[in-house]
Amino acid sequence: MAAMSGLPKIDPALVRAAQHGDQIAVADLLDTLAPYVGRVCGPIALQDGPDAAQEALIVILKNLGGLREPGAIYGWARAIAVREAIRVARKTASAVPAELADVPAPGDPQLAADVRDVLARLTPEHRAVLVLRDLEGLDEQAAGALLAVPAATVRSRLFRARRSFRKAWLG
Amino acid sequence: MAELDPVRRMRVLAAATPGVAYAEKLIPAPFSTVWEAASDLEHELPRMITDLRSFEITSARGERLTASARGRLGQRASFDVVLRPGWCVMQSRLLIGGMAAVPEGEGTLFAFLGGLRFRGIRLLDPMLRPAARPLALRPIRRLEHRLQAR
Repeated sequence: MAAMSGLPKIDPALVRAAQHGDQIAVADLLDTLAPYVGRVCGPIALQDGPDAAQEALIVILKNLGGLREPGAIYGWARAIAVREAIRVARKTASAVPAELADVPAPGDPQLAADVRDVLARLTPEHRAVLVLRDLEGLDEQAAGALLAVPAATVRSRLFRARRSFRKAWLG
Repeated sequence: MAELDPVRRMRVLAAATPGVAYAEKLIPAPFSTVWEAASDLEHELPRMITDLRSFEITSARGERLTASARGRLGQRASFDVVLRPGWCVMQSRLLIGGMAAVPEGEGTLFAFLGGLRFRGIRLLDPMLRPAARPLALRPIRRLEHRLQAR
């Protein structure tokens, strides 16, 4: 998958060693996976990103024994990271539906702040769709499977999320 | 992008590893002072862990070390160690250990992990874990007291 190609390669032997309780291997795996899990959790859980990444990595390492194919570790970790990010964000988020008629107009030097503001106004589920489609490059079927929703739901969430961005940026 | 600092990573390791004692404590000293002391494994570990008589580094390649440890009762163990600023993980055939530190305000948040490695430990974990925190706090307190006494 194209979006996975820039990631550091993980030696299957390292995964197997970690699965067999080699704690140095577990720590090495943690070093390698933490930036990727942080990249997935950050835009979904926003200010709770580090908490979400921490929770996701705990689930990943605790369940490592269940991973049959070491080559699939990034996809497997991503599914857990998205799920944990949504869960953590839901707990604390004052998430509002993504109908963003009241998105602020773009202030020139405020672009980054506007992006954050728009993201914060989306629900964690909508942010997850954006991350999976636009950052991770998954198609609607794959994103839907990962989020346990139909592809059509992914499509409509994506439409609304992107429309929100356009409104915020273009006024 | 959500960054995980070394203490958060050590929390992950502790939560995911059955049978370990884990504690964190804020030490009122700068990170550089705390880590300079803690990372001097040969001198500091036997002071932090009183069951340990000596801990001798036998090889070093970058952040990967090997060490030979001797216990109070004369027992020996070989350790593989990963050591870099703010992060240390070590394991022998039967033991695992770890330390992590990050600056927090004017002090340092310090984490310590220690435990046993064997297959059945997973079954004992629910009983061991609640009782184990004070065990992990002791080495941090010893380090803190010595830094205060300097």
